[in-house]
Amino acid sequence: MAADELMPSHRSHRTRKAGPTMRKKSEIDKKKRGISDTKQNNPKAFSFKSARRAQLAESHATEKEQKRLHLPKIDRTYGDPPPVVVVVQGPPGVGKSLVIKSLVKLFSNQSVPEVRGPITVVQGKRQRFQFVECPNDINGMVDCAKIADLAMLVVDGSYGFEMETFEFLNIMQVHGFPRVMGVLTHLDKFNDVSKLRKTKTRLKQRFWKEIFDGAKLFYLSGLIHGKYSPREVHNLGRFVALCKPQPLLWRSSHPYLLADRLEDVTPPEKAQMDKKCDRNITLYGYLRGCNLKKGMKVHIAGVGDYSLSGVTALSDPCPLPSASKKKKKRLGDKDRLFYAPMSGIGELLYDKDAVYININKYHVQYSNTDDKMEEPTNKGKGRDVGEDLVKSLQDTKYSIDEKLDKTFINFFGKKTSANSETKFKAEDAYQSLPEGSDSEESQSNDDDEDDEVHVEGKGSEINQITEIDGGRLRRKAIFKDDIGGSDAMDSNEDDFEEADDAELDLDEYDFEEADDVELENEVEDSGDDSASDSSGDYQIDDTDHGNISQWKAILKENARKKNPSLTQIVYGASGSSATPLINENPDISDDEDTDDEDFFKPKGEQSKNSGGGWDVGYVNSEDCSKFMNYGHLKNWKEKDVCESIRDRFTTGDWSKAALRDKNLGTAGEGEDDELYGDFEDLETGDKHKSHENMESGAYDNDDEDAEAVERDGNNPRSQIKEPGYVDKLKEELEIRKQMNQLEMNDLDSDTRIELEGFRAGTYMRLEIHNVPYEMVEFFDPCHPILVGGIGFGEDNIGYMQARLKKHRWHKKVLKTRDPIIVSIGWRRYQTLPIYAIEDRNGRHRMLKYTPEHMHCLATFWGPLVPPSTGFVAFQNLSNNQAGFRITATSVVVEFNHQARIVKKIKLVGTPCKIKKKTAFIKDMFTSDLEIARFEGSSVRTVSGIRGQVKKAGKNMLDNKAEEGIARCTFEDQIHMGDMVFLRAWTTVEIPQFYNPLTTALQPRDKTWEGMKTFGQLRRELNIPIPVNKDSLYKPIERKPKKFSALKIPKSLQRDLPFKSKPKDLPRRKRHSLDEKRAVIMEPKERKVHTVIQQFQLVHHDKMKKKKATEQKKRKEYEAEKAKNEEINKKRRREERRERYREEDKKKKKMRRSHD
Amino acid sequence: MGKAKKMKGSQSFRQRLLLSTLSSTRIVIDEIRADETIPGLRPHEISLLRLIETVTDDAVVKINETGTQLKYKPGIIMGGKNLVHNCALTRSIGYYLEPLIVLALFGKKPLSIRLSGITNDPKDPGVDTFRSTTLHILKRFGVPAEGLGLKIESRGVAPNGGGEVLLTVPTVQTLTAVHWVEEGMVKRIRGSTFSVRVNSDFEHSMRFAARGIFNNLLPDVHIELDHRAGAQAGKSPGYGISLVAETTTGCYISADTTVSFGRTDETGELDFEKKSRVSAEDTGVEIASWLLQEIEKGGVVDSTHQGLLFILCASCQPDVSKVRVGTLSSYGVETLRNIKEFMGVEFNIRPDPSTGTVILKCVGSGLVNLSRKLS
Repeated sequence: MAADELMPSHRSHRTRKAGPTMRKKSEIDKKKRGISDTKQNNPKAFSFKSARRAQLAESHATEKEQKRLHLPKIDRTYGDPPPVVVVVQGPPGVGKSLVIKSLVKLFSNQSVPEVRGPITVVQGKRQRFQFVECPNDINGMVDCAKIADLAMLVVDGSYGFEMETFEFLNIMQVHGFPRVMGVLTHLDKFNDVSKLRKTKTRLKQRFWKEIFDGAKLFYLSGLIHGKYSPREVHNLGRFVALCKPQPLLWRSSHPYLLADRLEDVTPPEKAQMDKKCDRNITLYGYLRGCNLKKGMKVHIAGVGDYSLSGVTALSDPCPLPSASKKKKKRLGDKDRLFYAPMSGIGELLYDKDAVYININKYHVQYSNTDDKMEEPTNKGKGRDVGEDLVKSLQDTKYSIDEKLDKTFINFFGKKTSANSETKFKAEDAYQSLPEGSDSEESQSNDDDEDDEVHVEGKGSEINQITEIDGGRLRRKAIFKDDIGGSDAMDSNEDDFEEADDAELDLDEYDFEEADDVELENEVEDSGDDSASDSSGDYQIDDTDHGNISQWKAILKENARKKNPSLTQIVYGASGSSATPLINENPDISDDEDTDDEDFFKPKGEQSKNSGGGWDVGYVNSEDCSKFMNYGHLKNWKEKDVCESIRDRFTTGDWSKAALRDKNLGTAGEGEDDELYGDFEDLETGDKHKSHENMESGAYDNDDEDAEAVERDGNNPRSQIKEPGYVDKLKEELEIRKQMNQLEMNDLDSDTRIELEGFRAGTYMRLEIHNVPYEMVEFFDPCHPILVGGIGFGEDNIGYMQARLKKHRWHKKVLKTRDPIIVSIGWRRYQTLPIYAIEDRNGRHRMLKYTPEHMHCLATFWGPLVPPSTGFVAFQNLSNNQAGFRITATSVVVEFNHQARIVKKIKLVGTPCKIKKKTAFIKDMFTSDLEIARFEGSSVRTVSGIRGQVKKAGKNMLDNKAEEGIARCTFEDQIHMGDMVFLRAWTTVEIPQFYNPLTTALQPRDKTWEGMKTFGQLRRELNIPIPVNKDSLYKPIERKPKKFSALKIPKSLQRDLPFKSKPKDLPRRKRHSLDEKRAVIMEPKERKVHTVIQQFQLVHHDKMKKKKATEQKKRKEYEAEKAKNEEINKKRRREERRERYREEDKKKKKMRRSHD
Repeated sequence: MGKAKKMKGSQSFRQRLLLSTLSSTRIVIDEIRADETIPGLRPHEISLLRLIETVTDDAVVKINETGTQLKYKPGIIMGGKNLVHNCALTRSIGYYLEPLIVLALFGKKPLSIRLSGITNDPKDPGVDTFRSTTLHILKRFGVPAEGLGLKIESRGVAPNGGGEVLLTVPTVQTLTAVHWVEEGMVKRIRGSTFSVRVNSDFEHSMRFAARGIFNNLLPDVHIELDHRAGAQAGKSPGYGISLVAETTTGCYISADTTVSFGRTDETGELDFEKKSRVSAEDTGVEIASWLLQEIEKGGVVDSTHQGLLFILCASCQPDVSKVRVGTLSSYGVETLRNIKEFMGVEFNIRPDPSTGTVILKCVGSGLVNLSRKLS
C-alpha cells in the first residue's frame, strides 16, 4: 500500500525525475515559459471523424457530469459538531478492539484495557472521535449502522471476507451510507509473499466492487508485542482524522444520541421494595442529527418509545480545545481529552448524577489570587463554576465543622465533607432549566434520597420552584410525594402567591448537601431580561454561597418584573405550555403597561370582550380570524391625517420609507451587514462576494443573486462556466444557513433553546421515567444505546406500502404473512407483510411469495415513517446461521389507512332449476345479502355459456325458500350437469400486527424470539403440511365417449337431395356370387404357374447366398479398420505427450526468467 | 399514537383541528359551549368537521350527544379532485377556506374542491380577499403558483347563500422558510366590489367613496365592479367591497366587508347585533379607512392574515423565519399559543418601537408532507 510512501523516513528528499507527475509538471513549466507544442503536423488526425460518434461522446460526457452532481443538502448544525462516531465492525476475532485501542492510544495517549461503550477522544483542534465497537449480533449491527459516521470494517485477511461484513454493508446502505473504510488484519499469517499479495488484491477488488472503486482499504500487517505496528496505526489514524462525515437524510432530520452513560436514578427505596419496579434512568451523550426540542418523544432502540421527562444540556466532558481561551497552534497534552465513562477509566469518575474529576496535584494551583487557572474542565467562559466554587471554599473563614454547627441542618454535610478529596459537582453548572417543570426532576431530589433525614417531620422533602406568572413571583413547594405526577399545569393551578419576592426564606427550604453546590451560571446573564426567565429554579444552599445567589435572584426578579417581554405576554411568563390554554388571569391587552386592576375581570365581562384584547380566558370565544376591532376610525379625508402615512406610499418620501425597513429594532444594522457578508462555499472552496442588493427581501434576492453571479467577474466559476442549477442551489443554501446562524446568534442562549431546541453537538442528559427494570438489569455497555427522536406523526401506527426486493443472497423466497423483522427508522419490529404486485390496470394483486429477482410491494402494519425511508428485513436474528441473514431490502413508498390488496376468488355453483335461458343457481352464495352484493356480475359455465347474476331467486321459487339461490340468465339454456363460475376479486385483510423488538430487555446473548413462521412451527411441532386431496394432480382418466347413431327423420330425408341422402344399404344375408366361386385352372395355366414358382425359389436362394458373402466381407473390413484405428490412436497420444512436455518446459523456463 | 391532547371550549376550533391534523395528534375538546343556552357545536363547526372528513382519509370524529365534547383522531390528508362540500350557512366560505388551504398543501394529491355556501360576509375574509391576498402569501412559502387558485363560480351572501367557489391547491413536500421583514411602500391599490340581487348603483357609490379617500395618497387605484345576476347571484341580496394594497416588496394588505341581511340564529335572534345598515358610501369610506389603518399599522400582512402567516412559518423547514407584522391581533396571539401547543414551535417576538411593528422569529418545525407518495 502507499502507506509507507506517505511517511518518508528521515532521508533527504529526492525529487522525482520521471513519471506522470513530472511529465505534467514539465508541461506546465513549458506553458509558463511560453514554449508551445506546435508540432501538429496533421491537425486532421485530431478532429473527430464521425459526427455520430462525437455526439455520443459528448452525450456520454454530459451524462457523466450530471451523475457526478448531487443535490446539495443544507447542514443545519451550527457550533461545535458532535464527535464523529467511528464504528469498528467485524466478525468476532479479527481484532476490532485492538484497532480501537491503538487509535485511542494514538490520539489521546491513553491505554484502554478494555473497550466497553463509546470512547470519546479529542483528536485535533476541531475534531473529536467517538469509537464504538460493533457487537457481533445483528441487533447491535443494525443500531451501529444507524449511528456510524465512519464505519471501519475489520476483515481477517487470512480468512477473507465473512458474511458479517456484507450484512453490515447492506444494513448501512439501507439506512444511509456513511463513510466506509476497510482494515485487513491478520496478514502475518501468510508465509508466502506472493500469496499475500494476491490475497490483498483479491480482497481489495471485492471490497471495491461492494463500495466503489478506490474505497480505502488498509492493511495492518501484523502484531508486534501484541500491538499493531505504530507506523501503520499512524497512517490509519491520519485517514480517520481526515474523514468528513456526510449528511444523511434520515439523520439530519431526526435528533439522536448515542448514550455513553446510563444511570439508574430510581429512588433506592422503591427499587428495594420491588426489585422489578419500573425504573427512572438518565442517559448521557452528545446530541446529533438535528436539534432536539423539549417536548419530543424518543425511541430507545430495543426498548420502546418514551417521552422525555427531563432534558438538560450539560457541560461538555470532552470539549474541543478551540473553545478554550488560549489560541494554540497545536494540541497540547492537556487538551487531548478522553472520555469513556462506561469503560471506567480516565480522570473522570462518575457517581450518581455527579461527575467527579480527579485532578493530579501538579495540575491544581488554586490560590486566592485571581490568576488564570489551568484546569482540565475549564470551558473558557469567564469564570468556571468549579473555579468559583473552589475559590469560595478557600475564602471561608470558618472551618467546615464550625459551619456545620451553625447551619440549620447538619446531617447532610458530614458524610461527604469528611473526605477531603477535590471532588466537586461539575455537571449541573450549565444546566439550563427554563421551565418550572424541569426543576422537579433536577437531581437534588434523587441525591438526597440516600439520607433518611428530611427537613420536615412528615417524611417528605420539599423542592421549590420559583416562576413568574404574569409578572409576579410564584414559588411552589413540591413535596416529594407528588414529584411524579405534578407538572407545570399543577404548578399554575395551586400556586400560593407571595407578594414579597424579596423574602426568600431559604433556610426553611434547604435540601442540599453541604458541598454539593449547585449554582446557576449567572455571571453572564445579569442584565439580560429574556435570559432571566431561563432559570426557573434556584437551588440554593445555606452555605456562604447562598447569600450571593439570593441577592442575584432578587435582582433578576426585579429585572424581569420591570419589562415583561412580548414573548412572555404571549406565551405566559412561566413558559409553561399549559398556561395559555387554561389561564386564570386574562392576559394583558395590546399596550404593554397595563395596570394590575385589569388582571381580574368578572367572567361575563371577559366574554364580551372580543377582538381587542388577547384574552383567552373565555374558552368559547368566537373563532374568527378577521380583524374588525379598529376602534374609532380616523378621518382619512383630512389632509394631515393622510400625511401621517404618506411615507408608506410610493408617493411619499422614499428615503424615509427605506429607513423604516432598515431599522430592524435594536441590533438591526450590524446584523444585516454581517448577514450578507462574504462567505465561502466549504464544499468547493469558492468565495462568494456579497451583493449590494441582498438586503431587499429573501425573494428578490434569489433572482438578483443569480444575475449578479453571472455578471460578477470575481466569481471564479463564472469564467469557467455559467453557474448551474446545483451551484445556485448551493449558494441559496449557504445564504440560508448564514441567515439562520445570524438570527440565532442574535438571541441569548435560553431563548435560543426555546426557539430551536438543543443544538446538535451539545452533551445532553435525558431523563426517562418508567423504563422496564430489565433495561438496567441487562444493561451491557458493549451494546450501543441509541436514543432517536420521533418526528411528527411517526408515533402513529398505520399501514405502510414499501417497494421490497428479496436479497439476492438470501436463499429462499419470502412468504406472504410470514413474520419478518424490519429495521426501519430508529425502530426494529416484527410485522406480517402481505406481498403484492401492481397489475397493469393499477390493481394491487396479492402474491403468495415474493418474486425471485424482482421488486414487489409489501404492505404491513407498523409505526409510520416518512416515505422514502429505507428498511432492511430479517427473518431470524440468531447468530448461528450459515446463510445470509438479511432477507430483503426495501423502501417505503407511501402510507395509507387502508391498502387495497386483492386476490382472485372463484365462486362455484350448480343449477337447481332451469327455465329456458334462466337458471337458479345454488351453492354459489350463502345468503341473499351476498347475492345483492354481486347483482349484475357475470357468470360462466364450464362450456363457456356466459350469463349474469340477476337477483336472489327467493320469491321466484315456489318451494320452501332457501337462502342463497340466485337467479341468473344465460345466453343459452344450460344443463343441470353444468357448473357455474363467478370470478371476482376479494380484498385481502392485512394483519394488524406489530411487535417491537425488546432486545435491550433481555440478556444480550439470548436471541430474541417473536412470532414464528408457519414453517418453523410445523418443524418444531412436527406437523405435516396439510394436503388438500382435491388439489393434487392425478392422471386424467377419460372414458371413451359413446355416441348414439345419427338418426335423420324420414320426412327430412325425403326432402334431401340425392347427394346428401344416406345411402347405407342393408347388409346381405348371403355371400355374393363373386365371393362364393371356385377357380379351376387349365393344364397349361397350371404349368406356367409351377414354373413361375420354381423360378422364384431359385431367385430366393441366390439372394441368400449373396447376402452371406457380403456380410463376411464387411466383417473382414471392419476388423482391418479397428486395427488401423488402434495404431493411429497410439501414435497420436505419443505426439500429444511430446508436445505437452515441450510446452511445460517452455513455461518453466519463462517463469524462471520472470522471477 | 400518543396520548390525546385535552382542550376546553370552542375557541380557535379551526386551528386546533388544523394543527392536530398536521402534527397528527389526537385531540379531545371538552365543554364546548357547555354553559350556553344552546350547548355544543354549531352547524358551521360540524360542517367543517365534515369537510375535513372529505379531504382526509380515516379521520375519526366522535361527538357526544349534547355536542359539548369532541374527540378527533386525524387521518391522512388525501386531497383529490372533484370534491364537493356544502358549507353551513352560519359562516361564510372564508371560515372553511382558512384551514383548508393549509391542510391541502400537505395532502397526498392536489386538491380541487367545490365549496358552496356564503361567499362573502362581514365576519370572515371574503373570497375576493382570498384571491387577491391569501394566495399571494402562500406563494411566498414556496407553494407553486400553478394549480393554486380560487374561482368564484357564483356569489352568495347571508342569509341564504347560494354561492359557489372552486378551490385548487397543489401539494408541497416542504415549505421554505421566509425572511420577510420589508413592508415596502404601497404602490397600487386594487379592489373589487360586488352586488348580487341589488342594483349595481351600490357598487358605483362604494367605489366612488373609496376612491375619494385614496385620492389624497395614491393615484394608482383601480376597483373592479362585479355585478352578478341570475343563477350566479345566489339567493340573497347584498353587496360588498374588498380592497387590497400592494407594496413595492410584494406584500398585500387587504380589507373587506359585505352588507347583507343578517341571518337569524337558532335562538331566533339575530346572529350579530343588527346595526342599522350603513349606506353604500359609508361602507366604501369605512373599508378604505380600514385599509389605511392597516397600512398605518405596518407589517407584511394585515391583521387578518397574521394567523395564517404564523402557521405557515411554523410549518416550514427547520430554518429561521423572520416576519414583521403590525400590532399583534388577538387571533394572531391565539395562533401563536396553539402553534406552541401542537408543534412545539415558539416564536421570538420583539417589538420594533420605531415603526410600531412587531418582528417575529421562529425556527420551523420541519413539517414534511408525509402522505405524498414516493414517485
